[in-house]
Amino acid sequence: MGITKVVEIPVVTTEVPIGPQHPALHEPIMLKVYADGEEVVKVEVNTGYNHRGIEKLCEKNTFYRDIFIVSRVCGICNAVHANCYVRALEQILDVTPNRRAKFLRVLSMELERIHSHMLINAVMAEIVGFETLFMQIMLDRERVMKAKEILTGNRVSADYMMVSGVRRDIDEVKRDKIKEILLKLKSKIEYYKKVFEEDETLVKRLVDVGRVKYEDATSHSFVGPLARASGVRIDSRASDKYDAYDEIPFNVITRTEGDSWARMMVRWDEILESIEMGIYILNNLPSDGNPVPDERRLPRRFPPGEAYTRVEAQRGELTYYVMSDGKTQNPYRVKIRTPSFNNIVNSAFMYVKHTLADVPVILTSIDPCISCMERVTLIDLEKGVRQRIPLKQLSSGGRK
Amino acid sequence: MDVAEKLKLLEDFALEKSVLKPNRKLFVVEPSYVRRIFESLIEKLGHGGFYLSTIVGTDLKEENKIRLDYYVVMLPEEETVVIRTFLPRENPVIDSLIDIIPGALAGECETYDLLGVVFRGNPFLKRGFFVPTDVSEKGIYPLRKDSGV
Repeated sequence: MGITKVVEIPVVTTEVPIGPQHPALHEPIMLKVYADGEEVVKVEVNTGYNHRGIEKLCEKNTFYRDIFIVSRVCGICNAVHANCYVRALEQILDVTPNRRAKFLRVLSMELERIHSHMLINAVMAEIVGFETLFMQIMLDRERVMKAKEILTGNRVSADYMMVSGVRRDIDEVKRDKIKEILLKLKSKIEYYKKVFEEDETLVKRLVDVGRVKYEDATSHSFVGPLARASGVRIDSRASDKYDAYDEIPFNVITRTEGDSWARMMVRWDEILESIEMGIYILNNLPSDGNPVPDERRLPRRFPPGEAYTRVEAQRGELTYYVMSDGKTQNPYRVKIRTPSFNNIVNSAFMYVKHTLADVPVILTSIDPCISCMERVTLIDLEKGVRQRIPLKQLSSGGRK
Repeated sequence: MDVAEKLKLLEDFALEKSVLKPNRKLFVVEPSYVRRIFESLIEKLGHGGFYLSTIVGTDLKEENKIRLDYYVVMLPEEETVVIRTFLPRENPVIDSLIDIIPGALAGECETYDLLGVVFRGNPFLKRGFFVPTDVSEKGIYPLRKDSGV
């Protein structure tokens, strides 16, 4: 029997939801991907799964308590968040920390940059199926966490920043230990960088994937390694020269390729820069007084005023706007704009014309941090009943 | 073009000038001029000459206004300037920038969802961008001072 009728199946784009659980990293975001066969035609970024309301929470608490709240915006970049907020307060109060405190602040932020960049590079190795490399990098990342523990007293959430200073000083023994860790780490990082440059699998999966042109990067407000890999020289460390960045020599890393591979390479080079900066800080640590201020002598009244500070977080330019009305102990408005907020929400165009398998690679190369991005509204509304939980109850961990 | 020349572009529109700590030039403008300012920035500097960093909305309940700040970073000097405008609290509407600057998407969607500022011409505005649906369904904008949240 011959063919009597030919039925044409129309080509329809398929909707593939990637997320909200584990799109590439273990964090909740949904990429609604429309695919024609394997090719991605359109992507919608769906947010709102993890909104904690930190801006509102900041308005309800005092200026000093907020230092601890903003540290909890993101675990991995808690020092930069606290630093940016604390510097905004210092601008309003017109106080400056001494040089030793400034150097120590920079050291803690650079250690954080090293371990954050190592984490995302390790995750990228895992995403492309190179799990051994993931394990290796994570093992060496532990050393940096150790160095951060020696400096700040904690591996992750440090709460290191204080108005007009830092919370802990270091002595000679700690200084030598951190230096030793950094020197050991350097050769390892150079090796991993070489692996990313030369390994066939990594190069095949990363090169030419998710290319962003210079003009696209600026018009979409991309910041951080994502912009720098496309040749846009944005680095608030170099332009704002906050804290001790005016005294410590470093280079701003840029590349021109603009693809996922270039973004990872920018991160490796930045780690090497950060190690150099760390060693410079430890060798040239000024001793112009105690970097730890007396908490009881800090000003209690905040004059009316506003400040807008920028900091170069690991993922790019992080900004804080703090406004005080001078009437209460609480800030009138705190606005946090994290780098991931710009980088993720505006990134939908990057996936188009790549295959479905490239979606996680591109997402990882942006280094998304969902907890950073979603943090604005504090609400506990259950069945129409408004419930407010005071900070005391929260801090007691549910105990009465 | 140096920074002074770039700032001259903004000064033509400014009603008032001041400085926001630490050392950010601030220009207060009419809300109807905001879009025109960005158009002229694109015309003079190109898309690669600046980027829109943040949109900050603040509810000024006592003055019955909503204040909107656009933070723009001039490249390559990385000079941050602030374009500030005031909208009436009852009916805060302003022209959207999304068709000329795609990077405005994140800031505009967030400001609409949390503060209720309508960006005329932005098709992506929706409640529930960040705010949970049980709140957004009641028509509450959480960052307004009288929202009760």
